[in-house]
Amino acid sequence: MRKYVVIYQSVFIENLQYTANIAMGFITYLILVFVFINLWNYMYAAPGDLIAGYTREQMIWYVMLTEMIWFGARSSTVREQVSADIRGGNIAYLINKPYHYPFYILAKYTGEWNIQLPMYAALTAAAGITMVGALPDFHWLTLVAAVPCIALGMTIHAVLKLCISMLSFWIEDANPFQWLYDKLILVVGTIFPVEIFPAALQPVLKLTPIYTVCYGPAKLIVDFSVGKYLEILLAQVLYLAFGSVILFWIYKKGGRKLYVNGG
Amino acid sequence: MKAIEAEGLSKNFRVKHKEKGMRGSIQSIFHPQTEEICAVDSVSFGVEEGEILAFIGPNGAGKSTTIKMLTGILYPDSGHVEVLGIDPVRKRRQLAYQIGTVFGQKEQLWTHLTPYDNFRFFGAIYDLDNDAAEARIAELAEIFELGEFINTPVRSLSLGQRIRCEIVASLIHRPKVLFLDEPTIGLDPVVKENIRLLIRQMNKELHTTIFLTSHDIGDIEKLCKRIVIVNAGQIVLDDSMEHLKYHYLNKKIVEIKLREEAVLPPVKGITILKKKGGNIKFEVDTARIKISEVLRSIDAEHIEDINISNIPLENIIMEIYMAEGRADGL
Amino acid sequence: MLTVVKNQLWVCALAVKYNIMREMLNKVTFLTNILFMMFNNATFIVQWVILLRLREDVGGYTMREVMLLWGLAASSFGLSRLLFARVFSLPELIVNGKLDAYLVQPKNVLLSVMTSATTVSAIGDCLYGLVVLCIFCFSVKRLLLFLLFTVTGAWIMTAFALLMGSLTFWFVRSEVFGSNMVNSAITFATYPDGIFKGVSRFLLYNIIPVGMAVYHPVHLMMAFDVRKFLAVLGYLAFLSTAAVIVFYRGLRRYSSSSLMQAGRG
Repeated sequence: MRKYVVIYQSVFIENLQYTANIAMGFITYLILVFVFINLWNYMYAAPGDLIAGYTREQMIWYVMLTEMIWFGARSSTVREQVSADIRGGNIAYLINKPYHYPFYILAKYTGEWNIQLPMYAALTAAAGITMVGALPDFHWLTLVAAVPCIALGMTIHAVLKLCISMLSFWIEDANPFQWLYDKLILVVGTIFPVEIFPAALQPVLKLTPIYTVCYGPAKLIVDFSVGKYLEILLAQVLYLAFGSVILFWIYKKGGRKLYVNGG
Repeated sequence: MKAIEAEGLSKNFRVKHKEKGMRGSIQSIFHPQTEEICAVDSVSFGVEEGEILAFIGPNGAGKSTTIKMLTGILYPDSGHVEVLGIDPVRKRRQLAYQIGTVFGQKEQLWTHLTPYDNFRFFGAIYDLDNDAAEARIAELAEIFELGEFINTPVRSLSLGQRIRCEIVASLIHRPKVLFLDEPTIGLDPVVKENIRLLIRQMNKELHTTIFLTSHDIGDIEKLCKRIVIVNAGQIVLDDSMEHLKYHYLNKKIVEIKLREEAVLPPVKGITILKKKGGNIKFEVDTARIKISEVLRSIDAEHIEDINISNIPLENIIMEIYMAEGRADGL
Repeated sequence: MLTVVKNQLWVCALAVKYNIMREMLNKVTFLTNILFMMFNNATFIVQWVILLRLREDVGGYTMREVMLLWGLAASSFGLSRLLFARVFSLPELIVNGKLDAYLVQPKNVLLSVMTSATTVSAIGDCLYGLVVLCIFCFSVKRLLLFLLFTVTGAWIMTAFALLMGSLTFWFVRSEVFGSNMVNSAITFATYPDGIFKGVSRFLLYNIIPVGMAVYHPVHLMMAFDVRKFLAVLGYLAFLSTAAVIVFYRGLRRYSSSSLMQAGRG
């Protein structure tokens, strides 16, 4: 376990130097948020309206939070690096190192988002308060409660992306599948809360990673309830366990294929 | 007529200066500190038509900057250049039709295409019509012996084959002057020799003027009649190869192996380079002492083996760099 | 003069052809890239189905207009990235001194640079636009206008990217700023202009060129208006002239530069 902590620390420290580069991404985030604020301002014709149970402020904050998670989780490690390692044949050397490659990648990724996400969180708070106004009924404790949910969501996201990257063992380019996953999260998951979809679709959406990666954490901050909190935590733990099993199964299968083909 | 004429060519660069650490980074945003360095400092030289000129110098001496100014990529700060009577600054495009460039470290070929397709592309760039391009490709393929692999994608070629194709691509339009920037870099000795042979042949048969930079003494020794050495942006030597060698040939290296340890008498004109037991290596300045005199001073009885050689060109050039004492990185 | 132009166009066409040939070396990757880009664009239909369930129109756009907007945005950016992909990575070429190779060729530097790379997925973008047009609002007149505006849109986007990229000749750090501006244009181009008001609306029609590249053309395809049409053409002429002037100014600076750049000197 200790070695993963060391990997985490060194990546964390390394990335501290790149905070200026991370801040460059703020522009893209702000433009996106600006578009969504305009969009929802238009959709809420009268100030007191409710859409799918959300007030205007809640809706915009929800979108800002899911986008924050999305931007905070951006990492080339779980995507490009893994694919490149596998396709370039580097994996044959890494697989024999005295650590589990997936854990190594996850430790690295955690070191990255631990810097990115807080930066985006600060930006989100500043932008939200100035452009939308404070969240109604917001309590600091909900934020504290949401932290483990966010951390779990970030990890689930990485595990799923890793699974897709590992497909590179069999196919030349896993990017199309990364796209599919990204689109699912981005188009279905970050733009609206699940409640906005037709009632028949909602149970299905709850089974997708949307529920555990972005909906859960954002919903809790915008509209906290203890029942919801426990439900989301449980779903996340199950998702993480299930995802990890699949990840290691794929990794093992892929590794074996490597030996057959001689790298 | 001269193919290349440069007079008082100068180019200064400003290099950014940054203090270490975060403070330095912030400081450099508001008060960027720059330092002026003189990459090329009032350089003048000429190249005759049909000549092969070696333009050499240590890293950072200003070779590439000079080539860039001769080809119109960079504008000189001061001085005057004419290549084939054309000013590269004002008539870059017109000049481009007359010159060819090969940069050993940069590829200009499309790697996924065959050499043949590449040549057709370059033919189009230089406005050759189909027949002319075909004829020219056939001619060059013959000289450079590309027949075997002219239809194999460039990425599958060996480095030597690729360089041959690079050279051919730059010759498609019959340039009158060819700039070769380290053409043999990274090649094995056999391929190097082959490339040199081709360059010489091309110079002879097509009467192409060649401006060559290289770190490889073999390239220079075997190809060039004239050599220009630059260091720290200035020309430190501009001389014919023959003259250069003659000038430095009054020094000989003598290596002798004696049966037993001996002490050489201190004679003027002899410098001991290395001495270990009976093995002695020394330099003789033949202007001051004749070789025969040196040999007479050694007891022939004791000599087991003797070897007299000229100083390698490499050492001569190194000595010239060192004598200037300003060579960076040496 | 005519042969000069003809030769120049011939070289550009060859370059584009060779670019695409390179990408076609691996047929499976080539096709999946195209198909997935189309699919990628199609996912956003979900977003608009949902939004238009909440209100009858968004910013004055119904499904038909939204799809036309999306289709045109995809097609014009696609065309630009297909033919002139290098414009979008111009800063990298400038900073690393990679323009040298084009400067020793006797052809137009700008055109040679622009056509020296391609993006395969852009083909998917182009096709997506056409498919959307055919499904949601086909008419022969609209198809012709669509093709015309794809070209003008691509032209405007290329010019804008060129202008932004050329800033790197003066400010090395402007690379990020430029690419953010280009990306923001893509974001704005996929939302109805009706939701933007005041200052942002002014910016979208004047500074960030989506108004002239996408919004006006969409309005024109629904109801033709000569004045708007001329505005698009005028803007196109103005922006591309400005971009070309700035690029060549920058290029002169590149050649007479006294700044030592990586990979030069």
